[in-house]
Amino acid sequence: MATDTGSGRSVSLSSPGRWIEGLSDTQFAYLLLTPCLLIFGVIAFWPLVRTFQMSLHADLLYGAERIGPFVGLENYVELITGERNAALPRPFFDPSQIFTSAVTVTVIFTVVSVFFETVLGFGQALILNQEFRGRRWARVAIILPWAVPIVIQGMIFFLLFQPTIGFLVEPLNQLGVFSSTPQANSVDSLIIVIVADVWKTSAFMALIILAGLQSIDRSLYDVADVAGASKFERFRTITLPLVLPSVLVAMLFRTIGAMRVFGLIETVSSCSTVPSLSCLVVQAFSSSRYASAATVAFVTAAIIGLVVSVYIVKFADVDGGGGF
Amino acid sequence: MAPADGDRSSAVDRRRFVKALGATGLATSGGLAGCLSRGSTGPQTIEIAANTDVKENIGEIRRKLHDVGLSEEIELTAIAGVQSSGSRKQQYNRWLSGNLEQPALFMMDSGWTIPFILRDQLVDISEIRPELATTIQQEYFETFVRSIEDRTGGLYGVPLFPTTGTMLYRKDLVREAGFSPERDNWATEPLSWQQFSQVTKQTMDATDTRWGFSFQANSYEGLSCCDFKEFTGSWGGSYFGKKENLFGPVGERPVTVDSDPVVDATRMVRTFIEGDTQNPLSSVAGDISPRAVLQWQEETSRRPFSNGNVVMHRNWPYAIAIGGAEDAYGQDLGVMPIPYGVTEQDATYEGYGGTTSSLGGWHVALNPNSPKQEAAFDVMEAMVEPEMQLFLFELLGWLPPRPALFETDRIREVPVMGRYVETLKLTVENSTPRPVTVAWPQESTKIAQQANAAFSGDGTPRQQMETLKQQLQAIEEASERKDAAGDGQSPSDTGTATAGGG
Repeated sequence: MATDTGSGRSVSLSSPGRWIEGLSDTQFAYLLLTPCLLIFGVIAFWPLVRTFQMSLHADLLYGAERIGPFVGLENYVELITGERNAALPRPFFDPSQIFTSAVTVTVIFTVVSVFFETVLGFGQALILNQEFRGRRWARVAIILPWAVPIVIQGMIFFLLFQPTIGFLVEPLNQLGVFSSTPQANSVDSLIIVIVADVWKTSAFMALIILAGLQSIDRSLYDVADVAGASKFERFRTITLPLVLPSVLVAMLFRTIGAMRVFGLIETVSSCSTVPSLSCLVVQAFSSSRYASAATVAFVTAAIIGLVVSVYIVKFADVDGGGGF
Repeated sequence: MAPADGDRSSAVDRRRFVKALGATGLATSGGLAGCLSRGSTGPQTIEIAANTDVKENIGEIRRKLHDVGLSEEIELTAIAGVQSSGSRKQQYNRWLSGNLEQPALFMMDSGWTIPFILRDQLVDISEIRPELATTIQQEYFETFVRSIEDRTGGLYGVPLFPTTGTMLYRKDLVREAGFSPERDNWATEPLSWQQFSQVTKQTMDATDTRWGFSFQANSYEGLSCCDFKEFTGSWGGSYFGKKENLFGPVGERPVTVDSDPVVDATRMVRTFIEGDTQNPLSSVAGDISPRAVLQWQEETSRRPFSNGNVVMHRNWPYAIAIGGAEDAYGQDLGVMPIPYGVTEQDATYEGYGGTTSSLGGWHVALNPNSPKQEAAFDVMEAMVEPEMQLFLFELLGWLPPRPALFETDRIREVPVMGRYVETLKLTVENSTPRPVTVAWPQESTKIAQQANAAFSGDGTPRQQMETLKQQLQAIEEASERKDAAGDGQSPSDTGTATAGGG
């Protein structure tokens, strides 16, 4: 009977519906994924390829054409050697100006903000994982900054550090922490942008890590209690290893986000004072230097790709790579 | 059998799923098509990408356009767009690069119209409506028209309204300190920076006002295009030598930011901010501006003035409308031209010295992809009518682009702004546009960064200006080299294109 049914289907193979019915589950799954992959390819890979293609041409500032003749990797060479700095609002990489060159600013911002966000987020998640009265409200309070739109967040920190408006400028100046015009100073501004980012996105880290903590089998702790493990030992041998994949996923997301930082800088300070890699892309684009913008954009994507690979390799060590 | 049935039911589910998916896809694509078909507004509806003021008053503007002769068949509608000028430039760049047919008209900042002209993204109206172009070129403020022209006389839109830097001050406070602005005619006889700073200092002390002079010195376009350019110009200095070099040719003009007038202007601002610095400009009184100016843009610098904490304030005409309102300072708001460092005769570079204001403002340009160009031209012609310009001055405080209109009685009768017409006319006449070329976006950023650093006391003014000179020279060279290499343009073509504004 089964054979008959099969041959019956093959007779009407011209019908797409019948053809779909004949697919195995795996084939059907791939069929359903195909439109997604095509769309993803169009909106993600094609722009990436096109960006790379543009980056191999010269800037062209006059006429209807957007980019000039093919120059190979010249843009990349000039960008890395510093010859292209004149065309950029701030240097791409200059070890003598670590707070005003894009690569160093982006790296400092990423490392410092992701570090503090992970530590604070982990702490918040551990607290929220406890049973206590009003836990629901505490969760809402901790997660609330994550819901604040970036423009509002930017305006809060912009006004806090605006002389004659914000109440933080004078006391911090008197304590010697900041200058009297922190938003005109690259070091002060970078710190403010990092604090603004930590304030908001620690909640995101807490949320993901909390999800990881909630998935830990409680009976493991019972076993640890029976074995007489201390609180620290319980944390080291049960909580940390089991929550580490979640922490790494959260760190991965935040690292990608931090390396692309732009909106926060523009709202809290300015791209001229705190130049991130994305700032260079946007400003070069606005100056009609499309090839230079494409070059910095592609290098930024490559750096992010490199960092993501490190995380993925690290994650494979931790979890056998199954999580991704 | 059971597995076969199971497969069958699974297959039927799949079929239903695919059908549902297909139906959803059709519905979505239909909806999207509906959303994307923006041309359904009718052939005679002309959209203008403008700002919130226009959007909110579009009904009245439309009525007036019809009153001054626009056909009733043509209806103007407005898109508010983003508020920030820089963001609007990027938005227009995306629209025009994407060959969008709408909007037909763009309200463009005079500070960045030229790059669009150089990209062949705007329509030359002098080719299609030569009479309209001639009227504008003959009757409008010449310096303002230059920011929408090319060197061959092509005109790429209709200048809408100019705006210039002016000095606002508290008449009540300076009178209290013993000065007489009316007797000395501050409204039309510019003070020197020396007089200005002494008046400010004495008024601060006599009236116990917290600060003397607020302006915009944040590291942004407003510093390079305007405040710093006014300071340097008033000392007879310039970024690129004589005035005719404003619009190029890029790479061939001298970079003169390290010259004495520019350094003196920088020292003056340092003296205003820091008072007795290591290198003060002894001719001016110091310590009259808060260090906070290094972070201030227009609104952040205006608020302390509006709150009563500042004697003198440099800003655009919109601040006059706010400060001169009856519920603000009313008649106690004074307006004068920007003070000068040296006279025009003593200026190092031709065309500078004396009172110098930065010229800003907005134009209306035409989208070359618009299928409704004829109707859009009719709208532009109606906008050129003097009656329309006086109406916009009354409605929105937009200064008329025609000098002759400043002589009319009607303009003086306009509440608040009408009181300051003489000063505004003088500032427009003595204004210079920013040196917009293809290299300007990068140059502007570097100028703002270095000027801000010099004002903040990071290195000496001369060191900062020498560094700036190197940076600007590198940008000029980079821009010239790339242009010659690309697209087969000869250097002379490049020169012509670069000088689009002049």
